[in-house]
Amino acid sequence: MNEKIFELKDVRFAYLGKYPALCGVDISVEKGQRIALVGANGSGKSTLLHLLDGLIFPDSGSVKAFGAELSEGALADAQFNYDFRRRVGLVFQNPDVQLFCPTVKEEVMFGPLNFGSGYEKAAKDFDAIMKVFGIEDLAGRMPHQLSIGEKRKVSMAAVLISNPDVLLLDEPTAGLDPRTSRGLVDLLNKYHREGKTVITATHDMHIIEEIADIVYVFNHDKHIVRAAPPAELLADTGFLQDNNLIHIHSHRHDGKPHVHPHGHPSHDHTH
Amino acid sequence: MRVRKRDNNFIERSIMGALCFLKGSVFSDEYASRPGFLQSLDPRIKFITFIIFILAVLFTKSIAVSFVFYILCLALAYFSKIDLVFFLKRTWIFIPLFSLFIAIPALFSVFSPGEAIFSFRVVNLNFIITRQGLYGASLFVARVIASVSFAVLLSITTKHFELLKVLRVVRVPQVFVMVLGMCYRYIYLFIEVVENTYMAIKSRVGRRIDYKKGQHMVAWSMASLWYRSYQLNEAVYGAMLSRGYRGEPVISHDFKAGPKDWVWLVLVTFISGALLYCGGLWKFNII
Repeated sequence: MNEKIFELKDVRFAYLGKYPALCGVDISVEKGQRIALVGANGSGKSTLLHLLDGLIFPDSGSVKAFGAELSEGALADAQFNYDFRRRVGLVFQNPDVQLFCPTVKEEVMFGPLNFGSGYEKAAKDFDAIMKVFGIEDLAGRMPHQLSIGEKRKVSMAAVLISNPDVLLLDEPTAGLDPRTSRGLVDLLNKYHREGKTVITATHDMHIIEEIADIVYVFNHDKHIVRAAPPAELLADTGFLQDNNLIHIHSHRHDGKPHVHPHGHPSHDHTH
Repeated sequence: MRVRKRDNNFIERSIMGALCFLKGSVFSDEYASRPGFLQSLDPRIKFITFIIFILAVLFTKSIAVSFVFYILCLALAYFSKIDLVFFLKRTWIFIPLFSLFIAIPALFSVFSPGEAIFSFRVVNLNFIITRQGLYGASLFVARVIASVSFAVLLSITTKHFELLKVLRVVRVPQVFVMVLGMCYRYIYLFIEVVENTYMAIKSRVGRRIDYKKGQHMVAWSMASLWYRSYQLNEAVYGAMLSRGYRGEPVISHDFKAGPKDWVWLVLVTFISGALLYCGGLWKFNII
């Protein structure tokens, strides 16, 4: 049996104690799994990722990480905190949140330096990760000078430089052009082949077959309504439509209007 | 109607002008990125040498020496590929601010008693300019000119985030340096938010806004900006925790001082010392 990375049971969380964000979530993640979290806006995907990263804690229910309870108290223990943070990396949805240092170089090296890598090792890792993302020329730039695609790449590099076992990604392809998006998918699969666990929250139904073995679907009631392999889920257009994951698409063929559900990834349909 | 329209234009010009000035002055690294003599120096050594220059200017008792320092500063600007017209404009904005209000009263016998060289009457009051007052005021202005010029030259030839990191040289705590760096980073973000908010308001309500409504909008925008900054503050802290921050930040400072930097440090110390010495001689024997 594979090592359990995360185990959530009946997890509930509300912002300010009154705006529910997660209502009874059960999820189990094993080592090396690729998981996609999909759902409409405001369905709780980002909240779940923050919870898995130990940034917020449930109002009720239990969260276990690597077999141990993940709580504020547990993270107060320096050793547990260090081990957990070292093993789990989160790429935030908004790169401006994540890029808080004055330059790209400081930003990317922040993780290794704060995890106690010496400067020499951090600098070596920095050169390597910048090469992976092809952003060596951005090293001296300030984050506010970057495009959204560049910001995303820097955010990813800033997390991946620490080589975490578990990668949590919040809408990693949002705002990216198709080529950059493609490169990102390839990179995630490369990390998966190296044995990493990858959990991705996304709206991008194009990519879920490539980045996930199992897809968890959140509905508007902020709980998981279905967990299924991507192919099975994508075939169920009625279910996807009910959960705002595909939409009715209208276009013209030979001058005649034509309406059908707009699904992904193939976008093929018969007439 | 015309007055109201002009008022709105004035507000728009003020907001956009202020934002543009901030972006252009605080966030522009145009000169700091150019290849030039000062730009090529290690920021720590450059900072120390400029402090030496400024201290020498402050300690000199000779107007002539102050002007030698000023000429040296202009020469450094020239060799660092700084447009001298831009540099003079940038420095002379501050110089009257820092000097005239203090220097003008010092001319008169009330503050600087001594040998009268000129007098005039204004509404039955006799104003006497003294030799000592003129010398003191001139020395003060000369010092301000040279020291402000050095400070401006340092700031435009050094990237601002490097200047912040240089603060570590003077033992400013790491956490303070990091907070300053983050302020620098996020001020830009909020400038953009203010700019976009203003454009959004303008696109929806047009140019003419009722005075009361305008007040309400400004108050609402301020509250909204405060709330956004509060949210961002929490999110950024989360992002820091996620990447290993445990209350004591470790930040990189990969400055490397080479032989050129050390030679420059020795040279500046020598030049400043020599000019101070000469200034002493000129003060007591010549002037």
